[in-house]
Amino acid sequence: MSENADKLLIDIGSTYFKLSTKDHIEQHFRDFNKDILDDLLHHCGSTINSYAKEDVHICSSANGGLNTLIIGVTNTYSLKYATNIAFNSGINIIDTILYQNIEDYSVPSDLIDVVIIVGTIDACVGTFSQSLYDYLDKLEYSNIVFVGSEQDAPVIKAKIEKVVVLPNIIDHKLHIVEDHLKQYLTNLYQQDIEGKEDIKHLYDITANQIYPTPYIVNRALPMIDARYSVVNPFILLDIGGATTDIHYSKDLVDENIVTKNEFDRLVFKKLGVYKSKQSLIFTAKNNEFVYELLMHLKVTENIFNEQGEKATKILMQLAIFLVLCKISHYRKDYINLKFLTINSFVLTGGITKVLNTAEIEDIVSFFYKKILNSEHRPKVVLDSNYDIWTLGTKGEESSQ
Amino acid sequence: MKVVTGVVGNDIHVVANRLIDLSLRARGFEVFNLGVNTYLEEFFDACVETGADVLLISSLNGEAEGWGREVKGLKAKYKHLDDLIMMIGGNLVVGSGNAEDIVPRYKKYGFDLVCHQIDLNTGLDTLEAFIEKRNS
Repeated sequence: MSENADKLLIDIGSTYFKLSTKDHIEQHFRDFNKDILDDLLHHCGSTINSYAKEDVHICSSANGGLNTLIIGVTNTYSLKYATNIAFNSGINIIDTILYQNIEDYSVPSDLIDVVIIVGTIDACVGTFSQSLYDYLDKLEYSNIVFVGSEQDAPVIKAKIEKVVVLPNIIDHKLHIVEDHLKQYLTNLYQQDIEGKEDIKHLYDITANQIYPTPYIVNRALPMIDARYSVVNPFILLDIGGATTDIHYSKDLVDENIVTKNEFDRLVFKKLGVYKSKQSLIFTAKNNEFVYELLMHLKVTENIFNEQGEKATKILMQLAIFLVLCKISHYRKDYINLKFLTINSFVLTGGITKVLNTAEIEDIVSFFYKKILNSEHRPKVVLDSNYDIWTLGTKGEESSQ
Repeated sequence: MKVVTGVVGNDIHVVANRLIDLSLRARGFEVFNLGVNTYLEEFFDACVETGADVLLISSLNGEAEGWGREVKGLKAKYKHLDDLIMMIGGNLVVGSGNAEDIVPRYKKYGFDLVCHQIDLNTGLDTLEAFIEKRNS
């Protein structure tokens, strides 16, 4: 644990909450019949009450983040850049639309938290036409932002009610400009967290801003050497009850995106071992290697119907395997990491309380052998004392 | 006039790419240089994002032959690139070949202008003449 002298750090997850003081870390399973604050005070009221509000720092991933629909004019630039910025702002993408084919796309029935419209450099004009406005008329959304050509902005502003216009995310050299959109999306995420009734009450015990947990973890990565002997390039997996976050060095992807961040992150919203358990099992049953993996672990698929420590362990191991598949050439989701150049796997979150290093190494080696046909074995590092989280919170404090 | 240029496929001939960039600028074109190792979709996408008038693909190691076959099919997927001037130049085959065979082949692939082993300035003169003719 990092030396945050007389600070109390709290992480609210979907399944557990964690408290870190300068002396110890404690973790409690959440009581879903209770308000988060009541639950926290029930378990650790005396600890919390012994700190001033200014010394309490809270982060949360319990609310799962926002949904986005991105409308862009090409896959290589506008859609890719906006998707990258959205992921790095902690947003869950629900869909992307290639504008030239907008009439062929169905309209999502769910309410979209934020629609992003992007396309062409500032020198272009007349990129969007009536088909965009017709589509938006049918769509239900809470926020809409335009980050395309500045010459198109006046028309967009006139045609779309309540649209927020920000500087173009594509510069005149076709490079990404992420700051404005990233700040806008991060603020929306913050407002979403703060707006949730449960989270609102947490401001009774802290005078500091409540941050999304993936944001805090991402901030810690450049400083990770301070706690662990991690060899670059590395990936970090945060497997929790509802979601799985992956943070990875940019050296591991071939991209035409050049940004200031050294690390990108991806959030798989329905891949967790508690709240998202059924969706995890569904994904597992659709993976042709999973039955072989279950045999390797000496269990049958009946384990999916079981409860208890052993079943949780197996689910955690499956979650590691499935998430690695999703970011490899086998099931390319959004990225295809260069697995053969990864030197370290760092694992944080609830998984570190369930699996030991050998059990994780076993899955990693199964993945490399079956999917990549390789003997490469990166080093596995377990962040079992939530050092990465405390390191990130500390970084956030010092930057304020 | 806007030109998107770059070297197609797994080809790292950056010097020729830089010379094309400089020569185009010297002639007053606005250049979007995607550099070496560029895939076809990136070329077309860059044309959409920049509103380019010309796509000038170069190839030095003969890889264009393989990529060229994909051009027509891929371009057909784009709804607003009908007026794009398509040009390719460099060493367009592996080994030796003569322009009489190569030029018609690449025109069939969908290129308006094909410059096989032609001096850069001559190639760009051809481009300017083509543009002038089209605009007249």
